[in-house]
Amino acid sequence: MGFNIAMICDFFHPNVGGVENHIYMLSANMLRRGHKVIVITHSHPPDRVGIRWLLPSLKVYYLPYPTIASSATLPNYFAFLPYLRSIILREGVQIIHGHAGLSSLAHEGILHAHLMGVRTVFTDHSLFGFDDAASILTNKLLEAALRNVDAAICVSHTGRENTVLRARLLPDIVHVIPNSLVADQFKPAPSPPSGDTITVVVVSRLAYRKGIDLLIATAPRICALFPNVRFLIGGDGPKMIDLLQMREKYLLQDRIEMLGPVRHSDVRDVLIQGSIFMNTSLTESFGIAILEAACAGLYVVSTKVGGVPEILPEDMISFANPDEDDIVRAMSEAIRLVSAGKHDPHKAHERVRGFYDWRDVAQRTEAVYESIMKSQPYDFWTRMHRTLDLGPVAGIIFAIILVVDCLFFMFLEWWLPEDQLDKVQMHWTPERFQEVVEEYET
Amino acid sequence: MYTEAWEAEWERVLWKKKPYPDNYVPRSFLASLSKNPNFRPYTYWHLVILSCPISQHLASIFVFLAVFMRLQQRLLDPRVLVWISVGVFMAGYLAWELLECSRADSQTRYTNRAKTLKASILVFLALMSLSPVLKTLTAATSSDSIWALSACLFILNALLADYTPMNPRSHQRERLTSVLSMNAAISSSVVLASRLSDDLSVFGLILFSVQSFALFPILRRRIQDTAKVLQVALTVLISTLSLALTYPLSNTAAYIYFACFTFVTFIAPAVLVWAQRYKNEIRGTWDPAVPKVNRRFSFSR
Repeated sequence: MGFNIAMICDFFHPNVGGVENHIYMLSANMLRRGHKVIVITHSHPPDRVGIRWLLPSLKVYYLPYPTIASSATLPNYFAFLPYLRSIILREGVQIIHGHAGLSSLAHEGILHAHLMGVRTVFTDHSLFGFDDAASILTNKLLEAALRNVDAAICVSHTGRENTVLRARLLPDIVHVIPNSLVADQFKPAPSPPSGDTITVVVVSRLAYRKGIDLLIATAPRICALFPNVRFLIGGDGPKMIDLLQMREKYLLQDRIEMLGPVRHSDVRDVLIQGSIFMNTSLTESFGIAILEAACAGLYVVSTKVGGVPEILPEDMISFANPDEDDIVRAMSEAIRLVSAGKHDPHKAHERVRGFYDWRDVAQRTEAVYESIMKSQPYDFWTRMHRTLDLGPVAGIIFAIILVVDCLFFMFLEWWLPEDQLDKVQMHWTPERFQEVVEEYET
Repeated sequence: MYTEAWEAEWERVLWKKKPYPDNYVPRSFLASLSKNPNFRPYTYWHLVILSCPISQHLASIFVFLAVFMRLQQRLLDPRVLVWISVGVFMAGYLAWELLECSRADSQTRYTNRAKTLKASILVFLALMSLSPVLKTLTAATSSDSIWALSACLFILNALLADYTPMNPRSHQRERLTSVLSMNAAISSSVVLASRLSDDLSVFGLILFSVQSFALFPILRRRIQDTAKVLQVALTVLISTLSLALTYPLSNTAAYIYFACFTFVTFIAPAVLVWAQRYKNEIRGTWDPAVPKVNRRFSFSR
């Protein structure tokens, strides 16, 4: 019998993005492996509220919390407990799996978990620095949230080093399990793009952190060097205006095509129009966009930052320093290599398919769940001591939060005793479903 | 036993199938971490020199307050103050000219001089005609409120003032905070002026405040850019002047000022030098890279 898992994150469907997709795919594959998975997130009024089911029988709780900025809820530490307690007890959840460093819902879930004897796992998806005020604050919040977590998962070795430093965790409870992709959704074009024209594709949020300044500086130079190169740029963001100005200034309207925002389901159709994918990010934890492009058979040129050097073997990607001249050099080499026909899209697709698979990710995550279920949980006094170790100021604040949380939980136990809650009855199991399908087919 | 084999197998890649568990900590873990990479320790005397502008600014506020007290208690004839102001202005302008003469050509200097003359006559006349209005502007407000308000405004002035040297070659625009700082000081002197008895005192005080809070900071920032000796001499001179003017009025205030100067010039730099031992800047591969672009576009975050 599998585990009962609750994925908690502020960022989930109907929003789109890397984290959202990761949670959905991981949940779907966990369901396939015979676990019971629910997702807890905040609601998206007016219509995305209450309890919904997503396609492979994934139950999603949309809790009524207002968001403050970029779809994150306000960290308040207590308001979530009444909902969470009812959900966890009714569903019989054994493991809480929080996602994303800036999701206060995930932090809160991890804080409350021990009250109900639930074990905790946290997945960190992004990289953060240490040197500005916002990072210092969010790193402290993360450290406090992860003080008593049973295991953490990071998507790359760089991410792991970053998380270990930010949250001051012991490195052996932090696991490296990469992100993955559905290779079938990124099949290369049946026939390679014809003609002499080489199309360079850029699909990215047009923001400073994605290195759009480098793109703006290099695109005109590459266009001048190679008359047969055109650019296809998908995405939207604050740097859009700068890009448009560059295109106007160098009169490149016919060679640089701007597509505006691209839906994730349409990304493959954009990718297969080109043969080189260019990524100029300044920081990247994993770089799923690069992987998707490589899977769609494009040759990748990327800046050597964060976890990007870890995701593909060196013959499928060429690296440049985040420096205008070096990017022009790497792009020129890539254009020569592709025009000489030395890059086979279908071979690249098959190779990526062999590297990454969600089933593998789910299996490795399951191993993490098994290891924490076998381990001993911290008792209350150990938790208290560990919380006080946070620091002379933060330690006391979070110790008070811990104690008030326990008192609040005792009040809820008295107000709404566990035996008065309706337990969720599941009449369907994956085995039963399989049987019915077989009966239907025969 | 496994560890050796795992260590040999370990690679910093994600795409390979690997024999070691996901939470295996390799020996190269955190190898790319660097601490305090661009760390240049401060030296004590360098910081002492850098703290001079702060002392100068505080001293100019203290001198102004001493002058105000004397005017209010009728220890100082307002006509003398006006003549002193004019004299100080001449001296300051001479110093400015001497600093400028190395730079601009004679034609620009000539036009600049004409402009300055016109502006100073305008300000002089405007203040003279406005002083009866300024005198009664906040006359109805009780003295307690005036003292509190002007104290707050002077603190604001000291906090927001621009203590960086002015580089005459780069035509940088005045920062918003330094404009706010100047406005705070001038408003403070306007509210103080309402406690004075006659129009000429008000005129003298406002003229002096324009000198100390609008013109002096410009000269101070210009001097900061040049000789260190001049800067130290100016600091000593103006600090001594503020103490000398305050001591007959109130020795307690003079002692507090003295403590203030000692703290800003000698103790605060020592604290900063001592605090450097706790500096711990962590850099690694996760930090956002700084894009190197040959300057053609201005880029902002």
